[in-house]
Amino acid sequence: MEQTPEYVIEMLHITKEFPGIKANDDITLQLKKGEIHALLGENGAGKSTLMSVLFGLYQPEQGEIRKNGKPVKIESPNDATALHIGMVHQHFKLIEVFTVLDNIILGAEDTKMGFLQKKDARAKVKALSEQYGLHVDLDAKVEDITVGMQQRTEILKMLYRDNEILIFDEPTAVLTPQEIEELMQIMKNLAAEGKSILFISHKLNEIMEVSDRVTVLRKGKYVGTIDTASTTKEELSRMMVGRPVQLVVDKDPAQPKEAVLTVEGLTVPSKIHKNDAVKNVSFTAHAGEIVCIAGIDGNGQTEFVHALTGLEKASAGKIELCGRDITHLPIRARSQTGMSHIPEDRHKHGLVLDFTLEQNMVLQRYYEPQFQSHGFIRFGAVRSYAEKLIEQYDVRSGQGPVTVARSMSGGNQQKAIVAREIDRDLPLIVAVQPTRGLDVGAIESVHKQLVAQRDEGKAVLLVSLELDEVMNLSDRILVMYEGEIVGELDPKKTTVEELGLYMAGAKRQGKERESA
Amino acid sequence: MSFLIRQTLIYAVPLMIVALAGVFAERSGIINLALEGIMIFGAFIGVLFVRLVQQWGWFNVAKEMNNWVALQGFLLLTMVVAAILGAVFSLLLAFAAINLKADQTIGGTALNLMAPALVLFLIRLIANQNTLQMATGDASSWFMIKKTMFGFDKKAKLGFFASTFLDKVYLTTYVCIILFIILSIILYKTRFGLRLRSCGENPQAADSLGINVRKMRYAGVTISGALAGMGGFVYALTTTNCSSNGDVAGFGFLALAVMIFGNWKPLNIAGAALLFGLFKCIAAAYASIDINGDGVFLLANIGLNANFYRLLPYLITLLVLAFTSKNSRAPKAEGIPYDKGQR
Amino acid sequence: MKEKTPLMQRDGTRSVLASLLSILIGLVAGAVVVFLVGLFNKSMSLKTAWEGIQLIFLGIISTGRNAAGELTFGFNPVTFGNMLFRATPLILTGLSVAVAYKTGLFNIGAPGQYLAGTAATLFIALEIPSSVVPAWVIWILAFLGGMAAGALWGAVPGFVKAFLNINEVLACIMTNWIAANLVTWAFDVSNLKNTVENTKTAYIYKTSFNGVQTPKMFLDKIFPGSQINGGILIAIALAILMYIIFTKTTFGYELKACGANRHAAKYAGIKDKRSIILSMAIAGAMSGAAASLYYLAGNTEFFWSTYQSLPATGFNGIPVALLAVCNPIAVIFTGMFMSMLDISGLQLTNLTAYNEYITDVIISVIVYLSAFSLVIKLWLGGKAKKKAGAKPDANAEPAPKADAGKEAGK
Repeated sequence: MEQTPEYVIEMLHITKEFPGIKANDDITLQLKKGEIHALLGENGAGKSTLMSVLFGLYQPEQGEIRKNGKPVKIESPNDATALHIGMVHQHFKLIEVFTVLDNIILGAEDTKMGFLQKKDARAKVKALSEQYGLHVDLDAKVEDITVGMQQRTEILKMLYRDNEILIFDEPTAVLTPQEIEELMQIMKNLAAEGKSILFISHKLNEIMEVSDRVTVLRKGKYVGTIDTASTTKEELSRMMVGRPVQLVVDKDPAQPKEAVLTVEGLTVPSKIHKNDAVKNVSFTAHAGEIVCIAGIDGNGQTEFVHALTGLEKASAGKIELCGRDITHLPIRARSQTGMSHIPEDRHKHGLVLDFTLEQNMVLQRYYEPQFQSHGFIRFGAVRSYAEKLIEQYDVRSGQGPVTVARSMSGGNQQKAIVAREIDRDLPLIVAVQPTRGLDVGAIESVHKQLVAQRDEGKAVLLVSLELDEVMNLSDRILVMYEGEIVGELDPKKTTVEELGLYMAGAKRQGKERESA
Repeated sequence: MSFLIRQTLIYAVPLMIVALAGVFAERSGIINLALEGIMIFGAFIGVLFVRLVQQWGWFNVAKEMNNWVALQGFLLLTMVVAAILGAVFSLLLAFAAINLKADQTIGGTALNLMAPALVLFLIRLIANQNTLQMATGDASSWFMIKKTMFGFDKKAKLGFFASTFLDKVYLTTYVCIILFIILSIILYKTRFGLRLRSCGENPQAADSLGINVRKMRYAGVTISGALAGMGGFVYALTTTNCSSNGDVAGFGFLALAVMIFGNWKPLNIAGAALLFGLFKCIAAAYASIDINGDGVFLLANIGLNANFYRLLPYLITLLVLAFTSKNSRAPKAEGIPYDKGQR
Repeated sequence: MKEKTPLMQRDGTRSVLASLLSILIGLVAGAVVVFLVGLFNKSMSLKTAWEGIQLIFLGIISTGRNAAGELTFGFNPVTFGNMLFRATPLILTGLSVAVAYKTGLFNIGAPGQYLAGTAATLFIALEIPSSVVPAWVIWILAFLGGMAAGALWGAVPGFVKAFLNINEVLACIMTNWIAANLVTWAFDVSNLKNTVENTKTAYIYKTSFNGVQTPKMFLDKIFPGSQINGGILIAIALAILMYIIFTKTTFGYELKACGANRHAAKYAGIKDKRSIILSMAIAGAMSGAAASLYYLAGNTEFFWSTYQSLPATGFNGIPVALLAVCNPIAVIFTGMFMSMLDISGLQLTNLTAYNEYITDVIISVIVYLSAFSLVIKLWLGGKAKKKAGAKPDANAEPAPKADAGKEAGK
């Protein structure tokens, strides 16, 4: 008789090399049955590679994987599925135009003579969603449902396949505080029912709240595994980064001066639905302050920024920048009036990926006399300017100014954009999710730069989805919900919980009395 | 009126089946710009097969005996041959696009250049001219279904339905329509269809669920090639009297436009194909169209230049695309090579 | 990071080698077809096949057959001159495809633009009487008119792409056929049909009929007896001009930025719609110039009833551009190579039982290969070591790479 092994899944001494780098260097991860085990590490620490090994996407050079104590060979995702390992990816693996039910059964369909039989599947999914409190409309198309529901669909996908080991890859990045709360509950339910959960994250609060044990990786190496109950956030962050990290930005109180940007009654039509994406938004941003527009993704922030910067047309309202009415000006004229823009999507708007770094560095100012004469580009000036920015902002790349932007890491791409926009030295900086995808060290440096710009007397308009960033960085918070500003908060006087209520639309200023 | 419907069907049916060919490729994630080339190739293969079989004399007895059932069998066989070789030809695109992650637009263009070149090269060698025809007789005497075959007298007056759909028609029309229906059902109601469509929308997701994206995409392109090859032969049979000259007059591209106009959905495509078929029919036969049967050739009497009617289908296509492109929704992953490493 | 990249690792070197390899494979494929046909065709001997293969590779220096019926080879100024003459339009349609491609557009509309240029050029060159206006003025007007008509016709797909987001490939194909019908229509009702030479039907007068033709610029002294004229020099000049515009100027920077990432260009204040239309207009102007220079030669005539077919010169711009990796200077050479293939095809028709369509087969194989030239380039660089080399960011850390992939997949 064999005794029940302690671990359902063990990855022992895994080493995976890519040309020039060891992505995983002797990493061990052991998952107990029924536990929630957090995997903590910065971008580039090797979490994704380790999971790819577990899913058979990569074969490790060394090390072995055991299921219930027995060595197993995982050569493809199918092998992983056969071992009842399932994963909710950070970016959902859903077919948007399919219904929820079709998404759940895809790859594990019941058929009769090749024809789909959905009746039993529907019953099974319904039972599962009752059991775990995962409510979702099975006949709705995925593109029509909320992100939270999409995530539930992903969880149902795993449960439908009778998976025992559930992996959640950065599951909270896209959720509202309330949805995060629900997810935490769901994860606890699942663990209580005997499922084993691997929770990949770099958010310390959530790890502290939900996990039983934590394994920390840093730069491809195994740092250690500890019980959550016996550690602190500070210790975890030190393990993750390798040095003590300043979790809060140091900054003096803001000293707002004259108004730089005044927005009055701005309304922007939506491209997707008939309602307006941005409704009657008014506010002022002053020199020397960081104003933050907070909100859950998809509440009109993108459209607002597009209307502000000229990428989209507003249907009503007025925008005044540095005393000039820019409501109807084209993009370049606005930017010349005094607006730099760190865009939300660095691949779509921020960079021309097939251009070199130096070409990207002058994307906003190639036409200035400094960089051209009579329509001919002054290559020397472009080169030395790019070198200056690379040096000054610590942008790392393979071949310096002539590196093709596409080949750079996400963090360095973002740094290049931040460098380009800040160096334009304009009165208003519109920074949309400026730290997305950056690791802790880089986030720290971007935050410092933005504060420095504020202290120099610039107005900074920050649009962010990260609650920590909102609370730490801003001098004033405007919460946007369904296209409206529903509250103006002082970060020193409010709490994350209160902010969350505003973001979720549960609370709003001016109407509080009615709802109370 | 019967004439107009018959003529419209003659153009609409190949358009429809070739547009469906495009759907199968694109829904699996591969842009098949080579429809035109595969049609040209399929037309050539079909005509060549008919010609060779005639020379070998397989069906000569049947022809002499007027055994039209056997002759229709011959026609079906030719369709199958054109489909198989169309599929084989399309493998060139599949290999480039799937295995070598090639640019699908250029790959498709290459096939569009290759088909007429190869076909003309061979036709010149075989026939010593630029057109390949049947060895003996013509398409209508060998393959056309006529009312006499159903025992009606030559002079018998048939009802509207019978005279439209049972007299002077080709079996290919109905085979294509039935195939179109069957394949549409397969696309939406079977496991294979569901998986194929998932690969064109989000191959990463499909892969993560253990679906072999490569295999599905090969299947999509191969079915696409088979349908386009067959459609090419049908086109050659019904519009150019079963001859091949390395050209299908942009029909494959029109089919692509029909596919986009039909929003990659079979039912809409059927409707769009009928509309375009009508315009093609007007372009080809405007001078002899007598809409209400009163002996007045309305379109011919307007006195517009023939070239106007000829450019009409292309102009309409452009206009229709202009007005519908905002609502059209292409499969999300089409044209993007699937890279396993990119998750 | 090494200071100097070894020759084989350099991108340019690999591009050239990849193109040469494509050419070689294309020619070999043609030779194989010829050989197979020779093998299976009873009326042909293997000797015929061998002659065919020789001509595929060496058609440009073929001088016909000697008394003994053997193929002879040697330098032939007539063939060379004709090669350069035929290269003129190919270089220009190649430029047309190349400059569009550089700005992210696949210009398959060169045939239509070529036809538009043809019509404008011929109408101007033949309708303005040279008895009133000096011939050289007419020549310039006809040339500029051809370019303008091509530009206008190219701008149409650009316009629908920019404003309605219609795929330019489909739009180009439709405008091609519309042009084919319009041009036929225009000449059908014109009085320019050649009625002097009765043996010919459906041809338009040569421009020399009105005394208008491209000056020879002494090139006929170098290649006596050939069709060559100064057009080739104009084509080369235009190629150099395109090179300068696209690599040295802010205008080129804008067009390329817009082609590589329309959204980022717009974000940076570049007028994206204007850029797309201008790119296509420039491409169209090149195709128009191709037609102008071909028909202004004075010794060429246009078959006007063209509604059923599109000019091959337009489509052949695609291989010319792709082989040149869309480098305007390289287009000069690949254009000449394509016209060399043409000549080989003609020799094949004249001297053997084979026909000129084999050159189209070769061309299509070359286009097919250029669809995955990246793979060939990587293979040449010796970097085909699977995953690492298959991705552009081979040297970056793998983890951020996965991150970049996710972002792109969003």
